Amino acid sequence: MLGAAGCAGQGSRISTPEGGFSVATTEPPDHLTPGRTVTSMDPIHALFAPLVTVRDSGKLAYVQARSVTSRDSRHWTIRLRPGWTFHNGEPVTARSYADAWNHAAYGPNAWSTNGQLAGIEGYAALNPKGKKKPARHTLSGLSVAGRYTLKVTLRAPDSQFPYQLTDNQGAFFPLPEAAFTDPRAYDRRPSGNGPFRMTAAWKRNRGATLTAYRGYKGPEPAADGLTFKSYTDMSTAYTDALAGNTDVLAVPPDKFGQVRRDFPGRVHRYEAPSMELLSLPLYDKRFRDVRLRRALSLAINRKAVNKAMYGGLNTPATSLVPPAEVGADTGVCDDCRYAPRRARELLRQAGGWHGPLVLTYPGGLGLDELYRALANQLRQNLGIDGARAQATADWAEFSDKVYGKKLSGPFYGHWGALYPSMQNTLRGIFTKSGDCWTCSFYSHPDVDKLLARADSTTSPRRAASLYNATQRRILTDFPTIPLFYGSYVYASTERLSGVAIGPFGLRLERVGTHP
Amino acid sequence: MTSLLLRRLLEAVLVFFGVTLVIYVMVYTLPGDPVSALAGDRPLTPSVVAALREQHHLDEPVLAQYGHYLAGLFHGDLGADFSGVPVAEQMADRWPVTVRLALTAWGVEAVVGIALGVLAALRRGTWTDRAVLAFTTAAVSVPVFVLGYTAQVLLGVRLGWFPVAGDSAGWPSAYVLPALVVAVFGLASVSRLVRAEVIDNLSADYVRTAAAKGLSRRRTLLVHVLRNSLLPAVTYLAVDLGLLLGGTVIVEGVFNLPGVGQLLFQAVQAHTGPTVVGVATALILVFLAVSVLVDLLNSLLDPRIRRD
Repeated sequence: MLGAAGCAGQGSRISTPEGGFSVATTEPPDHLTPGRTVTSMDPIHALFAPLVTVRDSGKLAYVQARSVTSRDSRHWTIRLRPGWTFHNGEPVTARSYADAWNHAAYGPNAWSTNGQLAGIEGYAALNPKGKKKPARHTLSGLSVAGRYTLKVTLRAPDSQFPYQLTDNQGAFFPLPEAAFTDPRAYDRRPSGNGPFRMTAAWKRNRGATLTAYRGYKGPEPAADGLTFKSYTDMSTAYTDALAGNTDVLAVPPDKFGQVRRDFPGRVHRYEAPSMELLSLPLYDKRFRDVRLRRALSLAINRKAVNKAMYGGLNTPATSLVPPAEVGADTGVCDDCRYAPRRARELLRQAGGWHGPLVLTYPGGLGLDELYRALANQLRQNLGIDGARAQATADWAEFSDKVYGKKLSGPFYGHWGALYPSMQNTLRGIFTKSGDCWTCSFYSHPDVDKLLARADSTTSPRRAASLYNATQRRILTDFPTIPLFYGSYVYASTERLSGVAIGPFGLRLERVGTHP
Repeated sequence: MTSLLLRRLLEAVLVFFGVTLVIYVMVYTLPGDPVSALAGDRPLTPSVVAALREQHHLDEPVLAQYGHYLAGLFHGDLGADFSGVPVAEQMADRWPVTVRLALTAWGVEAVVGIALGVLAALRRGTWTDRAVLAFTTAAVSVPVFVLGYTAQVLLGVRLGWFPVAGDSAGWPSAYVLPALVVAVFGLASVSRLVRAEVIDNLSADYVRTAAAKGLSRRRTLLVHVLRNSLLPAVTYLAVDLGLLLGGTVIVEGVFNLPGVGQLLFQAVQAHTGPTVVGVATALILVFLAVSVLVDLLNSLLDPRIRRD
């Protein structure tokens, strides 16, 4: 009986191709269609090529696009490189883009990247309020002006539009016809325009094998193929990499402290365009006094926490925007220092703190130690005896409490920018329509004005200086406590060469194997 | 025998409706919104949230949702998760893994447990007896994930004897470590049960009679004593099989085995009602089936039960 059961599993093996390597991915991958996924970016990067990418130096570089130009930052022309094909042979044309974008922008399709297209004119008509069905199916601001030319009109000028066409913005990728004729089959085995193609459909909870796509017109990938191996528990993936069974993985933050010992010389780090915050419930009147907010911030020894919790792999924040974003100034947050005496002084001026101070964070993400340490620091350095950390059951409960304004103390705040522009972080956290507005519960007309000016410039340098002015303006109100800039940390086995991390994570096309 | 089966089937139907309803309501009342659980830390736009709620009937009251679920069920449709993957398909993928793990673990538990029990009984009061007791008890008291990670690091990473995780190496090598970790927990109970019974039976009259008739000690032990001593252990093992088939959530997670336990865990996290209910119901049916089998098996081993 056992023998018979044993044989049944043989067909489900995923093996690494000759000359290839394996990458650990988290399971379940929700979707493999770029416009629909929120979690599976590594597979998307292998299967698809973006219009534009950002080099490690922070410079924009064209991939599938030949040029992205505008005179006024509002009317954009995207010219494509001709001769590119999807893995199924279909040519990549302006139509492939228009169809994909329209599909993602159409609300009732419920594609998760829908919001990324909100800046394009006509978006509102495809996403009416309430239960009405939209009258149109296509964005009025998007038109095909030739086989390889796409014209885009934005609602308002946006100097950062080219940055939005990069690797992690799933809504802006092209899709072949097959994605619309049989979406379910396509979602499990997509034909993309990227460096690797799938040899068979993705096997849930096992993974998939990819081989280099010979028809790829971008930079040739270093490896002949790669395998995505699914893991439910990244700690298990970590142990499996130690045993040499998985070649490269994104190290879970709770392993940061030991990873350098476990993978000597094979730890790869890149400062991510992400912010770790200790967010504050500004709707609670006890947090209205800016002195209290600054006191809490000054009482946290970021350097010590980073060393103890992350093995020094994150960077203590000294600004509201991470330095991975082009042109971002750091060293501008005076209250991000560790100055316990000043903190106590400010707290006294603000009238002290009475009763419990509960720091809430989502359970199951390995944040327990960090939040206990933060609570300890507030207790010791500010004498707040009621300071303690409290986890929710899971992410759903946490987000419920945050969006419902049910928390009356500091809480976990995190924002990873999908494209490395200060615009993304500042708009995301400090404007009312931002996706991470609940990370600050802060908005101000001055900030909105400064952002609008920065967005509408045509000079990148002028834009950067205006975004920096915005972060300085916000800091005078100090609405939320910046803790760290996040890091992409990857570990690899000795088999691999050329493991490179960039602004969008692992650069799969550069990874090769030692002969 | 037939009436026993009928009674059990009727029970199963009642249990089915009760359990599915209770579980559906429980998933529904979990704190947090399934749509935000789905989105991760990047909120979805209002139009997308509205479309998702409508697609999955999340905007309706819980009883209406349960109604949709039952209606689908009568058409043989177990529903789908939020990514649109049918629950039936997901379970079909997962069952072979869990069955393989459960049977392997169960086999180890039965063979090693019974052997240890007999050994302890024969060497009653000696150091061997005490060592068996100490080892099995210690094994039960270590948390399962500690045992799992330790086994991975020692036998998988350091010695490299077994794969650390995943089932890509196939049966048996991929299943040895997880099965051992699971089996270790039953060893204490099985060996204790067997030991006590064997000791009882060894001093029974029929053993003396057998010896007087000139039967070898080995034959007496294997044919007579063991058969009479196994009843409690078999009952225990059978119930345990039901539990093992229910998925060993932690072990499947630690060893990255895509079984039903893991599916259930993921579904609860994602608040996917149809998946949770589907899996839980299937597990309950398995458990009911196993307990009917236990009754049958017991009556085979002990003719006295058959007369009741």
